[in-house]
Amino acid sequence: MLNRLFSEIRFRVRALFRRDRLEQELDTELSFHLQKEAEKHMATGVSPEEARRRARAAFGAVQGTKDDARDARGISLIDSLAQDLKYALRGLRKRPAFTMGVVLTLGLGIGANAAMFGIVDRLLFRPPLGLKDPETAHRVFQHGRTQDRRPRVLRNFAFRRYLDLQRTTRSFESFAAFQTRTLALGEGSDTHEAKVTLASASYFQFFDVRPALGRFYGPAEDSVPAGSPVVVLGHDYWQARYGGRSDIIGQQLRIDRGTFTIIGVAPNGFVGAGDQGVPAAFVPITAYAHAARGPGYPALHTWTWMEMLARRKPEISEAAANQDLTSAFLASWRETIAANPNWGKLEDMGIRGELAPMLLARGPHAGRDAKVATWVLGVAAIVLLIACANVANLFLSRAFARRREFAMRLALGVTRARLARQLLTESLVLALIGGAVGLVIAQWGAAALRAAFLDAAASAVIVDPRTLLFTALAVMVTALLTGIVPALQTGRGNLNLTLKGGANEGPHRSRARPLLLVFQATLSVVLLIGAGLFVRSLSHVKNYRLGYDVAPVLYASANPRGYRPSEAEQRSLAEAMLETAKRIPGVQYATLTISVPFWSNEGTGLWVPGIDSVTRRGNFLFNTGSPDYFKTLGTRILKGRAFDERDRAGAAPVLVVGERMAEALWPGQDALSKCVRIGADTAPCSQVIGVAEEMRLRSLTGEREYSFFVPSAQHTAPPVPEIFVRVTGDPERLIEPLRRELQKLMPGPAYVNVVPLSELVDPSLKAWKFGTTMFVAFGGLALLLAAIGLYSMIAYDVTQRTRELGVRIALGSSVSRVLGLIVSSGLRLVGAGVVLGVLLALWGAKWMEGLLFQQTPRDPVIYGVVAGILLLVAVVAAVLPALRATRIDPNSALRLDG
Amino acid sequence: MARTPIDLLQGTLDVLILKSLSWGPRHGHAVARLIRASSEGAFEVLDGSLYAALHRMEERGWVEAEWGLSDKGKRAKFYQLTPLGRQQLKNETASWQRYSVAVAKLLTATVQP
Amino acid sequence: MLLSKRKGNAVTDYLDLPQGTLDLLILKAVSLRPMHGWAISERLHDVTRATLQIPQGSLYPALHRLERRGWIRAEWGSSDNNRKAKFYELTPSGKKQLAADTKAWARLTNAVGLVLDMS
Repeated sequence: MLNRLFSEIRFRVRALFRRDRLEQELDTELSFHLQKEAEKHMATGVSPEEARRRARAAFGAVQGTKDDARDARGISLIDSLAQDLKYALRGLRKRPAFTMGVVLTLGLGIGANAAMFGIVDRLLFRPPLGLKDPETAHRVFQHGRTQDRRPRVLRNFAFRRYLDLQRTTRSFESFAAFQTRTLALGEGSDTHEAKVTLASASYFQFFDVRPALGRFYGPAEDSVPAGSPVVVLGHDYWQARYGGRSDIIGQQLRIDRGTFTIIGVAPNGFVGAGDQGVPAAFVPITAYAHAARGPGYPALHTWTWMEMLARRKPEISEAAANQDLTSAFLASWRETIAANPNWGKLEDMGIRGELAPMLLARGPHAGRDAKVATWVLGVAAIVLLIACANVANLFLSRAFARRREFAMRLALGVTRARLARQLLTESLVLALIGGAVGLVIAQWGAAALRAAFLDAAASAVIVDPRTLLFTALAVMVTALLTGIVPALQTGRGNLNLTLKGGANEGPHRSRARPLLLVFQATLSVVLLIGAGLFVRSLSHVKNYRLGYDVAPVLYASANPRGYRPSEAEQRSLAEAMLETAKRIPGVQYATLTISVPFWSNEGTGLWVPGIDSVTRRGNFLFNTGSPDYFKTLGTRILKGRAFDERDRAGAAPVLVVGERMAEALWPGQDALSKCVRIGADTAPCSQVIGVAEEMRLRSLTGEREYSFFVPSAQHTAPPVPEIFVRVTGDPERLIEPLRRELQKLMPGPAYVNVVPLSELVDPSLKAWKFGTTMFVAFGGLALLLAAIGLYSMIAYDVTQRTRELGVRIALGSSVSRVLGLIVSSGLRLVGAGVVLGVLLALWGAKWMEGLLFQQTPRDPVIYGVVAGILLLVAVVAAVLPALRATRIDPNSALRLDG
Repeated sequence: MARTPIDLLQGTLDVLILKSLSWGPRHGHAVARLIRASSEGAFEVLDGSLYAALHRMEERGWVEAEWGLSDKGKRAKFYQLTPLGRQQLKNETASWQRYSVAVAKLLTATVQP
Repeated sequence: MLLSKRKGNAVTDYLDLPQGTLDLLILKAVSLRPMHGWAISERLHDVTRATLQIPQGSLYPALHRLERRGWIRAEWGSSDNNRKAKFYELTPSGKKQLAADTKAWARLTNAVGLVLDMS
């Protein structure tokens, strides 16, 4: 055996290098043969021409011989690969329907994977664009405990922390501070809001970037306390608003309360470390802070508003740097506690620093997004597998149809390995074309996905080198999976029998096809179960009673933008807004508010006689509102009453509590008339006058979250100019009229913003909606593919067994028996797949749990429905070809070529 | 005994089946058994090839078939030779003889002619 | 192998050689002395009195295949009229292969003979 191998290799190598010479030699050899043959004929007396003609006739096609001999020589790999390619392309062109079908199927599968990979990559793996040395760049988090001793992780800090850390740590090369805020740019009628990143000068050093125009600001312009009023524009903003002109350096731009000078433009696609998309501008953090809070901000302990980055010295380990960070935090907090002793004891706070990776999805603040995206990538992979199974089945049928062609080639000296290689080439070509189509699909689909899903997506395209690499990998795997089974099966079985046998020498029973089908059914079941669970979960989320109505409510807020109203002015502005809003046609109710669900909330101290340390029991969210507060939001009052005109300033202080708060503080008792001291334990008793339906204001299911409500008139602080408005009819139509009327009330540079409440609440549903949509889409696709697979397999089977079935019918077997035979074989396979799929889903259920909302992953109803759907589809997919089978004319069936 | 698989070619299979049927009608299973036994285990005919061959010969009119009961009382299709089939058996046997003789001659030559 | 063609009523027997048998016969032919392609074809024709007919076009692919597998070896020499011709001869591994194939052939004929001879 080894000898033979060596000899083969030697031969081929020689053939490779002496190709021309070998051709020549073959020519010589064959012409010698023909000469001798012609001589033989001439010896019997015929003319030379006749002799030559006979010789050639006896020989057969010379060229064909040459080709086959060449083949048998085992010519160079490259030559034969090129041949394979030509042959494959030719074959594909001859069958456009087949080719299109395969390419489309594979394209969908590969495209979906490419798009999802792009997203998962961005969320979990790829460091932010341009980040230098990702291993030493960290996001700073601080662990601690809330007042009620719950652990929590923060990434927003006071400016003094930033200063302290820089001063007292030794393990870091630099720190950066930044925050992204939506601020008003421009002035007058040109005012528009955009995301602005406020960043220290050191921020830009974290990235390997050069400005597209001008320069970035340096430490001199970022000095404490005032900084310099300079701005670096974002690239997109520069293109959109300034037409990409290069003469903008030195121009002024109003941002929030200040006027800033443009000194440069950031490079295209630069996002930085933020997670809110590409900013419109970058401003020194000191300049912003100074304008917003005055020169005292570096000393403030309470204004925790900015995030921090740290560049660790490479020679220091993460553990050591973490320790250094922790001691620095403790030292800094010691000062804070010294200045605010009523905040508690330092030892109780459990303060600890953490250096996390730059990607938010990899740190302590990882949201649900990354998890869902990963799951959807897994789903896409499953769909690709199903598509591959289908295509593999198609290849198998084709291979069987071509078995005579194969047998002939094998008889003529082509080895099985070569034939197998040619089949794999065909599947590779199809997979490549499918991959190209898939990338196109990914581009389209990605745009839609981005809009629905990724705030953080930079404007760069989803299709980039890493995704391309991943796609190439997917293509290889696809080609292998689809081509391997028919390739392995070539040449098996009795060749000669095949060559001379008829078209139907008995049913072609390949074990691979039924297995593929079971495989497809299993995967489809798993996907559909996932889809069902998500759909139900989403419906739970949607139907979840938030405690208030979202759809008909608008939220209007005034942005003072530097204008500092006095308390009296602020109060009158708020009230004017309220009155004006009420008078607009279409507005049902309006109320003042100081908090917005899921967006902002306030808290304050609470003391209840008889209860020791109320604030330990949970998070008490504090709200104030006008008498129409509950009517505006559609919240029911369960007991007692809401506030009304009686509850004015100076009258007896009252409050309304949420039903869960009532139950928590006074279990089993009537909450009405109970006394609560708000703000200080020496405050007068506020009396509970009503219990309201539970309102979910910060999280959907927070256990220790409670809310209570105080009339704005009785709240000591002046109301902020923010209102809720409840409208009849389509809220979108009232946004502009409301804004116009309210804007008239705005003093100075202030401007008003009106948004539907749904815009603020819905984002929390996003992850669920996305997961559901994807699962349902993919599950449906998987089901379609499996149905097609089943149909084609059974139809094929029927064709194979035509004669046998015809015989059965001729012999008197009833049509329904034959039908039953075919359908039952298909059902058996799908049934096996269903059982396997259910088992697989049960086993994987535990990982799904975190993604579902009030839904058990082992819901028997869903499992049952999915199994039923699949079996139904199986019956339909089997019955259609089976019906055709019963119409076989027995005579013609038996007469088929044998 | 150690062996490499023997490829049974269609023509050869035909002649073996015809020969087996020359002893009287048999059903397919019995034909396979007979071939196996008489070749002393050398030939193991696959069902697919067997029935394909039988149907083919039926079509060509070399055999005819009818339903009957096997010795176990099960319904089975019995095949038997037609006169044309008997003729075919003679022809095929002769061809086989010539073929094996020719090859044998070539294989046993020791001196070049 | 045995393929009956009907030409009208006459049956012309035309024995076609499958690849395995052809290989075997080639090996045997060159085992006696080195031969060129045409000589092999003539020998098969002669010894069997034309019973076996090989389409000459399938001879050369078979020769090259056998050469590639290392069972025969090729050398250029001069034929009887001093013309250039490629001569093939058996290699040691070819000798082994010949012995094995001959045995297999014998078993096949034997078995068929058993079936056909039984009475």
